[in-house]
Amino acid sequence: MIELKNVTKYFRTNQGKKYILKEVSLIIPSDKNIGILGRNGTGKSTIMRMLGQIEFPSNGTITSNKTFSWPLALGGGFVGKMTGKANVKFVCRLYGKSQKETQTISDFVQDFSELGDYFYMPIRTYSSGMRARLGFGLSLAFDFDYLLIDETLSVGDARFKKKSKDALIKKIEKCSVLLVSHDMSTLQDICDAGLVVNNGKIEYFPDINDAIKKYTEINKQAG
Amino acid sequence: MVKRSSFQIFLAVQNALFLRELSMRFSEGRMGLFWTFVEPFFQILIFIVIKVALFSSAQNDFDFSVFLALNFIAFNLFKNIVTKSSNAFEANKALFTFKQVKPIDTIIARLIVEVFITAIITCIFIVIGLYFDFDMDIQDLSMVSLGFIFLLFFSFSFALVISIMNVFISSVGKLLSFLMTGLMFGSAVFYPIKGLPTEIQNFLLYNPLTHFLEMIHCFYFVALDDEYISYHYMLVWTLSLCYIGLWLYSKFEKKIISL
Repeated sequence: MIELKNVTKYFRTNQGKKYILKEVSLIIPSDKNIGILGRNGTGKSTIMRMLGQIEFPSNGTITSNKTFSWPLALGGGFVGKMTGKANVKFVCRLYGKSQKETQTISDFVQDFSELGDYFYMPIRTYSSGMRARLGFGLSLAFDFDYLLIDETLSVGDARFKKKSKDALIKKIEKCSVLLVSHDMSTLQDICDAGLVVNNGKIEYFPDINDAIKKYTEINKQAG
Repeated sequence: MVKRSSFQIFLAVQNALFLRELSMRFSEGRMGLFWTFVEPFFQILIFIVIKVALFSSAQNDFDFSVFLALNFIAFNLFKNIVTKSSNAFEANKALFTFKQVKPIDTIIARLIVEVFITAIITCIFIVIGLYFDFDMDIQDLSMVSLGFIFLLFFSFSFALVISIMNVFISSVGKLLSFLMTGLMFGSAVFYPIKGLPTEIQNFLLYNPLTHFLEMIHCFYFVALDDEYISYHYMLVWTLSLCYIGLWLYSKFEKKIISL
């Protein structure tokens, strides 16, 4: 269960406070895969970052007894100077893995991400798709209650997209996922419930199809 | 996932960061590594030459080369901790994606790396000293060690304040190199306080770093003693900086994470 209590989030800009969320109170039930929908700039990524505890509400609290992965966003979380392998090892050490476990995880990520020789080259030589593949493969190697995935599934070629989708479907037998995506079919395949973020409010839908309907409505109004 | 205590997480993070910082140092290219270990020797050599050329008549009752080596080890430790920490937040920004990594961890990790490198340099100095038969007798090893530990606390507190200020005030980084040069000439690196005129002594003793360096070399050499040092003054500086640093940190930690 994730509980949001009077959560307000704003950023200070030159034009004054820019509100992302206004006084949101919400309970998200456990053991559900949740898709997050909203137009660009409504704060989907900010919500993911707040759940990953690397961004903090301006007011109010977010509480949960579950463990969350780091937010898997495009290109984030890796150090450009270090090789892919070194980055993988670094994350394993952060999570206190033993040498043996680290080796297993490193082999798995190398195999899954299909980076070949690039696995031993600095991350700054990677394309954004390659970074996303590395990040996604790495997150699959750990056990969290919730995976936080921010659009990383939508990169890569068609074959890899299918591969990662299959891997994710297998993974969510054991854990839940919070997924930001603009791809409706992915959301329908993976998620049970949905959150629609709009105008500083979050609305919870127990059925993802209702959430998609609402999202389409919002888009129509805007367009 | 197995729940870990905060301390276990802290140790895991320090381990990961330490190895990362070291491997970055080593991968900077051979020249980077070469200069890390050779620079202190050049510093000392230059000042020995200056000393011999200009003041060859002045006699000390201790070995001047050993005196310089000791002071440069201590001063460079302070200088490197502060300068390397000053951009630690910016350089490790990508790592804050992982909630385990707190900004202060990156400063502690850099401090440990500096201590590690200084230890290696010190060993090299000792080997050279033994080979060339320098007079390296220590008056009071435990007090010298205590001086270094005290210096570490001071450096950490100073580094914390500087690194937080560096996030919000962009000119801090530029001023830092001037400040360091000033501190080097004004903190008894090249001479003991003992032989100086009283006015200059009083002036230099306003600098807290002078006290730390005096403490270290005065307990090292039998010929010097700690009559000029105020432990009270050192403690006040260290604790105030530590307090200000931690206060600023607790206020701005979240801002630094989501930089």
